[in-house]
Amino acid sequence: MARYEHTAGATGRTPQNWPTDSTVALDHFHATLLMFAHPKCPCTRASLEELNRLLTHCQGQVTTHILFFTPEDAATDWTQTGLWQSARAIPGLRVEADLGGRQAARFGAETSGYVVLYDPRGELLFHGGVTAARGHAGDNTGETAIAALLGARQAETERTPVFGCTLQNPERASQFGVEACIKP
Amino acid sequence: MHQAIATVPKASGTVEARRAELFEEQKQNIIQHTDWIFARLMPLQWIGGIIVALFVSPRTWAGTESQIHPHIWAAVLLGGAITSLPVFLTLNQPGKALTRHTVAIGQMLMSALLIHLTGGRIETHFHVFGSLAILAFYRDWRVLMSATTVVYIDHLARGYFWPQSVYGVLAAPVWRSLEHAAWVIFEVAFLVISIRKSQSEMFSVAARQAELEALNANIEGVVEERTAELIRENAERRQAEQRLKKSQAQLAQAQQIAHVGSWEWDIVADSVTWSDETGRLYGQRSEDLGSPMAKCFQRVHPEDAVWARSIMEEAMRNLKPFECEHRVVTPGGIERVIHSRGEIVADARGRAIRMIGTAQDITAAKRAAEALRQSDEKLRQSQKMEAVGRLAGGVAHDFNNLLTVITGYSDLLLRELSEANPLREDAEQIQHAAARAAALTRQLLAFSRKQVLQPRVLELNGVVANMGAMLRRLIGEDIELRTSFDSLLGQVKADQGQIEQVILNLAVNARDAMLHGGKLTIQTANVYLDQKSVARNRELEVGEYVMLAISDTGVGMSEEIQAHLFEPFFSTKGVGKGTGLGLATCYGIVCQSGGDIRVYSEPGTGSTFKIYLPRLLTSSAEISTPKASGELPRGQESVLMVEDDSSVRKLAASLLRSCGYQIQEAVDAIEALAIIDRHGAFDLVITDVIMPQMSGKELYSKIMQRAPGARVLFMSGYTDDALAHHGVLDEGLHFLEKPFSPARLAQKVRTVLDNTAGE
Repeated sequence: MARYEHTAGATGRTPQNWPTDSTVALDHFHATLLMFAHPKCPCTRASLEELNRLLTHCQGQVTTHILFFTPEDAATDWTQTGLWQSARAIPGLRVEADLGGRQAARFGAETSGYVVLYDPRGELLFHGGVTAARGHAGDNTGETAIAALLGARQAETERTPVFGCTLQNPERASQFGVEACIKP
Repeated sequence: MHQAIATVPKASGTVEARRAELFEEQKQNIIQHTDWIFARLMPLQWIGGIIVALFVSPRTWAGTESQIHPHIWAAVLLGGAITSLPVFLTLNQPGKALTRHTVAIGQMLMSALLIHLTGGRIETHFHVFGSLAILAFYRDWRVLMSATTVVYIDHLARGYFWPQSVYGVLAAPVWRSLEHAAWVIFEVAFLVISIRKSQSEMFSVAARQAELEALNANIEGVVEERTAELIRENAERRQAEQRLKKSQAQLAQAQQIAHVGSWEWDIVADSVTWSDETGRLYGQRSEDLGSPMAKCFQRVHPEDAVWARSIMEEAMRNLKPFECEHRVVTPGGIERVIHSRGEIVADARGRAIRMIGTAQDITAAKRAAEALRQSDEKLRQSQKMEAVGRLAGGVAHDFNNLLTVITGYSDLLLRELSEANPLREDAEQIQHAAARAAALTRQLLAFSRKQVLQPRVLELNGVVANMGAMLRRLIGEDIELRTSFDSLLGQVKADQGQIEQVILNLAVNARDAMLHGGKLTIQTANVYLDQKSVARNRELEVGEYVMLAISDTGVGMSEEIQAHLFEPFFSTKGVGKGTGLGLATCYGIVCQSGGDIRVYSEPGTGSTFKIYLPRLLTSSAEISTPKASGELPRGQESVLMVEDDSSVRKLAASLLRSCGYQIQEAVDAIEALAIIDRHGAFDLVITDVIMPQMSGKELYSKIMQRAPGARVLFMSGYTDDALAHHGVLDEGLHFLEKPFSPARLAQKVRTVLDNTAGE
């Protein structure tokens, strides 16, 4: 179980600059933070809690989106999980569906709970997870780094491992050139 | 758990040892109870962890694919591994140190598992603190140390080797590990304090319990000792009571058998108690136990109460034992004679305070003594009468022969002397004296009941009526004779001459009792004597009687005189005025006739003599009537005269020859039989009864053998029961009583010859 919890998920190539073909608009006045989540991933609840805490501390400093992976052929309620509802309850958090995981693919997100942070000019500031282990809330390096960046302070790191379920199916993940993280 | 308490052995040492023992018992009890709690809590936690895993992280996802989340397996397998050993130990080895330390470690590991299963939620960390609090139930600070050590080692080891898993950072300072452990130690410190305080209280409770037990043990010892004593005393008391009851029962039985009861009088309280037998003798009820002596004396016969009380009072004054005989009358009317004995119990100052005594029923003894006395009296009287009778009989036999001669010759002389002959008066005096002598002889025989009665059926009214003129001459002019006859008076069977003698004697006594005149009343009546009226004087059968009462208005008699009234030679008339044979003669005649004579008299009120004779229930035509005297009857039949007294024989032979009879004389029975054998049968044989060699009765038997139906006339002044049974002549015999007059002889001879059936 320790291996499961502390084995980081796969990450793709996250662009250094805000991709122009992204359907998500960049905030040119504030930093923009995106979290990619699997609506049924139990580990992502810890990430969502950390995001909630982060937004509480950095209110008004960042525009935040959470993009829930939605399969192409999924039923309309496939995404409407408890996690979706929890996200919608967080003030200032924009909840959106990522149909077919296209946006995740653009930002190199392959594991649920993956966070990217861009400054108003569209330059990548941080990418990685905001939990210390899979499904474990609590102090972690990613959250500390984001808080520092948003506070215009020097972050200890700009990249952290991410712990969570794989956003795409294994065959799709290999299509995108990533490795599934659901190995026990 | 409770069973474990019972199995802890009790120390038999000092209070301190018992206190330690109780403390250990209590501690062990708490530990086992806490084991019992964890034996149930830990499985529940395990199940709870599985439920949490199923709820929070049921599956892990990859895109649209999912599989069972590792948390499920972790909850099931790891939770099971953590739970199983402690639960096994709590169930199988409760109370042991290993068990509770294993529980502590397991509980901490379970906290870690739950924290992981809930994603490290801060809320789940409270499970650690809650578990420590529950572990504190053991009241063993070492258990908390085990738990704390696990927590501390976990944080220290992971913080050092894998800080990210604990603090979420790749490199954490040491103080963070200390901080986490410090919060645990913070709680544990207060829990340890609480445990120490709790143990102190438990120790105090154990000390109090030990002291209480020691006190109780002491009390129980005293109670057991006293109880044993009581049981022994009760057993002894029961045995004593049983012995007492048995003794009382034996005493009561003995008293009942001996008719001896006991009693006790508490003089101070005036309370009398008595035994059952005494109660029965006095007719006292058991409810009356404790009555005053005065009430008890109500049972004593009134005539005896005064002197019985005086005897008791004298005994109380003299403080000496006493005894007395008195009668008691029970409420049922039973009269008993009691012989009481008593002794006095005095106090130190010599005052009588109690009286203890016995009461013996001597009624039967008294009755027996009275019966014996009466029997002795009767025997004495009988012997007296027998002696007098023998004397009278002996005298009478010879005397009557002499009187017969005197009477006969004087009567013959008178018959030869003319009325003007101066010798006639002399001859009459001789005859008169002979008559008085004959009467005296008859009285002697009568009171001694040796005379021969010749009972006939009588009507007493006629007998008395015929005596009327003679009685009036006898009693004189100063005394009025009254008669009161029952017209329906029954008949009696008695010797008329004897009855007349009785009436004459009673009339003479009445006259003598009325020196200044009065009334003589002769009354007859039919009476029925029932049981109650029997035995006034002598016993009579219950039944119908004819009563002849002769009453006077004379001086009367005292009871003492009445008691000796019928004894021979008892007289109140003074020397020369009475023979003392009158009433004895009356009594003898009446008794010999099957009756009784009773007297009712009080001084100054006169006397009444009542003669009771059995009444004949069938009337008889054979009524004896007085026969008038006249010329001597004559005859020519052959007569054999057998008499050993030559004077009498010659007189009688001479008299009968003068009447025409053919007389042969024999001096005794032997000669008489010889004459009969030689001469043949005579028309009549006249024989004396008492003769030498052969009595008249034996002669009669031999004559009857030779000539059945021969006529025999006995003559005697005293028969000695040769002819009579209890004085009454045997049926079919003819008898002439000596002394007899020539006329009586001639009349009797003629009667016998004329009446073959007898008189």
